[in-house]
Amino acid sequence: MIFALITVFSPKETFSELENKSLEREPKLSAKSWFDRSYTDKLEKYIADHFSGRVGWLELKSGIETSVGKKEINGIYILKDRLIEKVVEPDYSDVDKSINAINTFGSENDIPVCVMLVPTSAEFYKDELADFYPELDQRKFIDYVYSGLGEGISAIDVYDVLSSHKNDYIFYRTDHHWTSLGAYYAYAEAGEQMGYTPHELSFYDVEHASDSFKGTFYSKTLSASVKDDTMDFYHSPDGDAPVTVEVTQEFGSEPEVNDSIYFRDYLEVKDKYASFLGTNAPIVTIKTGSEGGKLLIIKDSYAHCYSQFLTEDYSEITLIDMRYIQISYKKIIDVSEYDEALFLYNVSSFAGDTDLKKLLYS
Amino acid sequence: MVFSSLVFLFFFLPITMLLYFIIPDKFRNIFILLTGLLFYAWGEPKYVLIMLISTAIDYTAGLLINKFSENRKKQTVFLLVSVIMNLGLLAVFKYSSFIITTVNSVFGLNITDPQLPLPIGISFYTFQSMSYTIDLYLKKIRVQKNFFSFAAYVTLFPQIVAGPIVRYEDVAKEIDHRTISISKVSEGIGKFLKGLAKKVLLANNIGLIWTQVKAMDYGEISAASAWLGILAFTFQIYFDFSGYSDMAIGLGKMLGFNFPINFDHPYLSRSISEFWRRWHITLGSWFREYVYIPLGGNRKGFARTIINLLIVWSLTGLWHGSSWNFMLWGFYFGVLIVIERLGFGKILEKLPKAVSTLYTFVMVVFGWVLFDTNTLSNAWQYIGAMFGANGVLGDSTALYLLVSNAVIYAICIFASTDIFSKFTNKLHNSKPEQLKIAAIAAQLFVLINCTAYLVDASYNPFLYFRF
Repeated sequence: MIFALITVFSPKETFSELENKSLEREPKLSAKSWFDRSYTDKLEKYIADHFSGRVGWLELKSGIETSVGKKEINGIYILKDRLIEKVVEPDYSDVDKSINAINTFGSENDIPVCVMLVPTSAEFYKDELADFYPELDQRKFIDYVYSGLGEGISAIDVYDVLSSHKNDYIFYRTDHHWTSLGAYYAYAEAGEQMGYTPHELSFYDVEHASDSFKGTFYSKTLSASVKDDTMDFYHSPDGDAPVTVEVTQEFGSEPEVNDSIYFRDYLEVKDKYASFLGTNAPIVTIKTGSEGGKLLIIKDSYAHCYSQFLTEDYSEITLIDMRYIQISYKKIIDVSEYDEALFLYNVSSFAGDTDLKKLLYS
Repeated sequence: MVFSSLVFLFFFLPITMLLYFIIPDKFRNIFILLTGLLFYAWGEPKYVLIMLISTAIDYTAGLLINKFSENRKKQTVFLLVSVIMNLGLLAVFKYSSFIITTVNSVFGLNITDPQLPLPIGISFYTFQSMSYTIDLYLKKIRVQKNFFSFAAYVTLFPQIVAGPIVRYEDVAKEIDHRTISISKVSEGIGKFLKGLAKKVLLANNIGLIWTQVKAMDYGEISAASAWLGILAFTFQIYFDFSGYSDMAIGLGKMLGFNFPINFDHPYLSRSISEFWRRWHITLGSWFREYVYIPLGGNRKGFARTIINLLIVWSLTGLWHGSSWNFMLWGFYFGVLIVIERLGFGKILEKLPKAVSTLYTFVMVVFGWVLFDTNTLSNAWQYIGAMFGANGVLGDSTALYLLVSNAVIYAICIFASTDIFSKFTNKLHNSKPEQLKIAAIAAQLFVLINCTAYLVDASYNPFLYFRF
């Protein structure tokens, strides 16, 4: 009863930062919403989302689950000092469609095309779990995809270089992304195939931008057992080259402009990974003023952190995210203006991807 | 609305109870009717009308049966109106798809299936209403002249969506005169929370395992995974269903009603006949009272007894859902009970307790495969997998299921036995004061934990939408 009163009268937030999800808004009662049951459905969700002390309740549930011996909460395994994702066997018919879409893109466009599939932290730290816990063999998965790529498409294999640095801080403990260090090793590995000369690691000035990052895995488990993550920005010692970043949320509308790769406002909120190029958007263009060609990246959010290393090697980098594009890419960009294209995905998102096939839209 | 929801627990229930205790006694039945309609309309905003119309018809049929107490023929007509109307509702809303697809496939026809959605609880309230008119016809009970009181009986929110099937006879006195006391309310709260814990903590959690296994390829899974999966469902259906019954009985107590017990540790049964005397007791007794006995029961010779048993059990199966799986599930129990009648029951009695209990449990588990695998071919394939037909007895998936859920399986096994209730009964006699304090602490614990699970309501299914 008391909880009910508090729930009804307390001020309402519309977004839960901690859980990284939008909260249900108060539904409107009308004859229509009552009779099609949408009112009652939404009201129940609304009450759960705004229930007084919500986060405390969620943490309690997470605590109960761990105390009865569950290693897995909401698809995340809780290891001794990190959280990793349970990546399950994909639907290979979807994977084949994605491979086919990449191949078609390659044959339709007369520029060099590279593919980089990045293994996720689960691959390198799953040994802590007994063998019987389901977890995709990402080495095999990457091989499967690379062997299906058509002629002229070059596969960039960063598995070994990441594996050899698995004891370094290359993946966040509480988030599904790689760290700047992880992205650096891949960047260095890819130089030869992509045609640039990477800097040595010692070249960079490393800024500890945050040491209180709680990522998406934390949001899913609310597990208090794992330390917060540190987020690093890698700067050129002479100061970063001036860049203009244009984020286009909706095709045809004015882009939002930022004068740095780093969107520092996000360091103050929960979703700190968005300080690399902001939250996911359909099109992001980085104009660098550096010498070099134009690069098109078709990507998931792993590319955001990766891009910070590319600003000295390309004059312009365009990142497009197929999850947010519902029309033919040809209507948005002219690929012939670019010198190179890169598909950059992590294994988990590529394995579950159903958006790349939209490259076939005409 | 369902009991295991935040809306019910923290809004509907406290407000309803508060008002219920405040208002004068003579308005309480009307109040129950109104809250029942709101409760029901929450999930069935349109079909609440069907329930009201059927209530009105049964009420009128009752008045007429009473009025023509000297004219048996007219009474029979009014009874038939009530029974045909109730069974008609079931036939239209619950069985039309099943009937049409069967007729189509047998006669090669192409009748379109209207695909009517099944109104929640229709199988429960139609059976309850029929118990009133039939018992009135059999002169077992007295007529209810007050429409609101009769409607309050039908729409009584504790039992409207998932039972127990409370016969009018069971609550006839309490509809008109009931006492409300603090001790009954607190007893009711205890019973309700026990049911809530069964549903939210046990059934929902072990049910997650079954949803994983159910989605696997039955042509590939190992025997061990198949067993773990169906065992998970075995516990899920028991704790879910008996949890709902406990919650209903508890809520009834809080309102001043004494509903009949519905589950009595059924998995400890030593024969299938005994299982059905301890599982969904109110349904079993309804079928015995209104189908088996009118068919002649066991009084018309051995052959008729067997036929009667098989009819009753096939209908019982069909009551649970309109598909061949449910019908076969019921028939399966009918056959097992006939075998026990033929002499196997005597053997079971002589066998060691562990053996007969295990026999019964395993047979029930096979039953659940039929019950929840949707099609007959799925069921056969699944049972095959349980016997190792896929060539793998155990694999890493099975080990994963077992290790990550060992605690929940263990709790479910323990909670299916009567060890704990025997223990508390003993305490009740020796240390009643300490038990009271422990009970309050346990109830708070349950409420807090259940709330945590409901706030993060990722899996909270309602299993009786096909009943």
